[in-house]
Amino acid sequence: MNPFGTPANLAAFPVMFPAIVALICLLAPRPSVWRRVLALAACAGLLAHACWIVSHVMNDSPLVLRLGGWIAPYGIVLVADTLAGIMLALSSFTAITCVLFGFAETPTKDEHPLRLPLFLFLLAGINLTFVTGDLFNLFVAFEVMLLSSYGLMTLEAGARESRQALSYLTLNLVGSALFLAVCGFTYSLLGTLNFAEMIVRTDVLAGDYRLTLLAVLMLLVFGLKAGLFPLYQWLPGSYSVMPAPIAAFYAGMLTKVGVYILIRIFGTVLPPSMTELHTLIAWTAGLTMVIGVLGAVGQMRVQTILSYHIVSQIGFMALAIGLFTPFAITAAIFYIIHHIIVKAALFLVGGSITKLNGTDDLSRTGGLWRAAPWLGIAFVLQAMSLAGLPPLSGFWGKFMIIQEGFTQGEWVLVAMSLVASILTLMSMLKIWLGAFWKAAPEGTPVATNGRTRAMTTVIVAMACVSLVIGFGAEKFLRIAKHAADETLDRAGYVADVRAANEILYPSKTPGATQP
Amino acid sequence: MTNQLEAAVLVAVLFSCGLYLCFSRRMLRMLFGFLMISNAANLVLIAISGDPTGKRAATVGADAPAGVLPVDPLPQALILTAIVIGFAVAAYLTVLIYRLYTDRGTANVSTLFEDKARGGAAAKEDAL
Repeated sequence: MNPFGTPANLAAFPVMFPAIVALICLLAPRPSVWRRVLALAACAGLLAHACWIVSHVMNDSPLVLRLGGWIAPYGIVLVADTLAGIMLALSSFTAITCVLFGFAETPTKDEHPLRLPLFLFLLAGINLTFVTGDLFNLFVAFEVMLLSSYGLMTLEAGARESRQALSYLTLNLVGSALFLAVCGFTYSLLGTLNFAEMIVRTDVLAGDYRLTLLAVLMLLVFGLKAGLFPLYQWLPGSYSVMPAPIAAFYAGMLTKVGVYILIRIFGTVLPPSMTELHTLIAWTAGLTMVIGVLGAVGQMRVQTILSYHIVSQIGFMALAIGLFTPFAITAAIFYIIHHIIVKAALFLVGGSITKLNGTDDLSRTGGLWRAAPWLGIAFVLQAMSLAGLPPLSGFWGKFMIIQEGFTQGEWVLVAMSLVASILTLMSMLKIWLGAFWKAAPEGTPVATNGRTRAMTTVIVAMACVSLVIGFGAEKFLRIAKHAADETLDRAGYVADVRAANEILYPSKTPGATQP
Repeated sequence: MTNQLEAAVLVAVLFSCGLYLCFSRRMLRMLFGFLMISNAANLVLIAISGDPTGKRAATVGADAPAGVLPVDPLPQALILTAIVIGFAVAAYLTVLIYRLYTDRGTANVSTLFEDKARGGAAAKEDAL
């Protein structure tokens, strides 16, 4: 007998497990080795579970769990489908690497006692946004995630850096209040907050101006979370002041939560006939790409340059959502898979540069190609992948998005994305020349030791995973295509959620069903 | 959803005042602005449950008078959650503003982003 009752109960695992482990970590307030092992084991468990979800839903229907046993449109449901499974796998993989990097960077006794618990709460919040099937529950998940992220951001910030949290906080506070109001408007317009029931009722309302207004508000709220133009200003300043492992996790996951929600809301929940909004998303995305990449040009700090590139890359993903065909959504999902790992790895490279040279200001770094060749190799692979050179993982995502752009005749958007790619390549070259190729300036330390070598190992492992995605693109594309088809199959989503109502007393009397 | 004009006006006033305060340079005003915005959002939620005139509470149960409709209880459940979350965030914002004051010696955004700190821990670091 399955100890979890039905497999559907496993949909709650990615939320409950990190929260419980975080509480256990809080019970042991001092940082210790066993606490580190526990946190790492928790992330590994989450990764294994997410991989199981993906392999399960590739062959079977999604897991739908009715929390508290309430009948579907009235209670909260958790839905773990392929897209959610992919995102869960990515969040737990990034968490593992960032936690490992943090262990390599800081000795156990110097670790901040609240870093691991907050990190695990953040992970629980992020995972809840992926599996939830209810708009208000999504709001709660966002708040769990944001509160942990506020805490983590200022936890280890020095007296000079703490001010960067203010803009992040104010924008997100206004965004949250707006999201709450959007929940209210949705309930008054549709009479439900359940995604599946919203699908049914928005179909009836398709074309109504009130629905369009609601969708614009949702685009505003989630575009802010994702960092879309013109709502991206909070991102570069706040991401570049955090400790490297935390910044890498934020860079990899937090904005992608916004992108995921955009796919979920516009792909699944809202009717596909809102073409004018999709055009709006596409053009916003085009501007985001170009403006983000231009912002990076004048910067000299590695982490700041990389932060601006997050904005630019978000544009690529949003462009794919805006083109809105099954092929484009497949491209967006594949791009997310590639991007999260590459971006997190690049931020970790930035952290290693800071550790080796004592700074990540490119005018005062150098000599790392000689001192840490493996770090250089990993950086080149990830940077070229970010710029989109074949046969690395970034190439396939960009290729598909641009191909779809050509098919739809969006020449200007295609040109914008090509310009953004070339400028990305130039930024990466700037980091390469500044930190790796040129000799170290007078007085700059180039110190390698056991810790920096361990940090490099983590980054090289991430580069290897990225290479596997690039060379085994076919397999990952198959999963992404399945996820995209499932996301766009709105009737299927409704049927899956309603089917969960059939099971009343699952583990005890398997024959008992409700008519 | 009829006769809710006063709620709509109140929400609009609260939201615009809150937004105005949020864009202020003084951090204390930002805090008050955020409190007003979050309460405006809460008001939106409570207004969603409709005009309560002539309706009974949703929790009366078996003693309910026959033929009297209850108000929609779901927005009340939502608003409870939202109030708790808003309280936590407001507490965090208060602590952050206090911390910024001790770090930089200012509670004004226009002087917060000066290169040289006015006072506080950052100024002590500079002096070293």
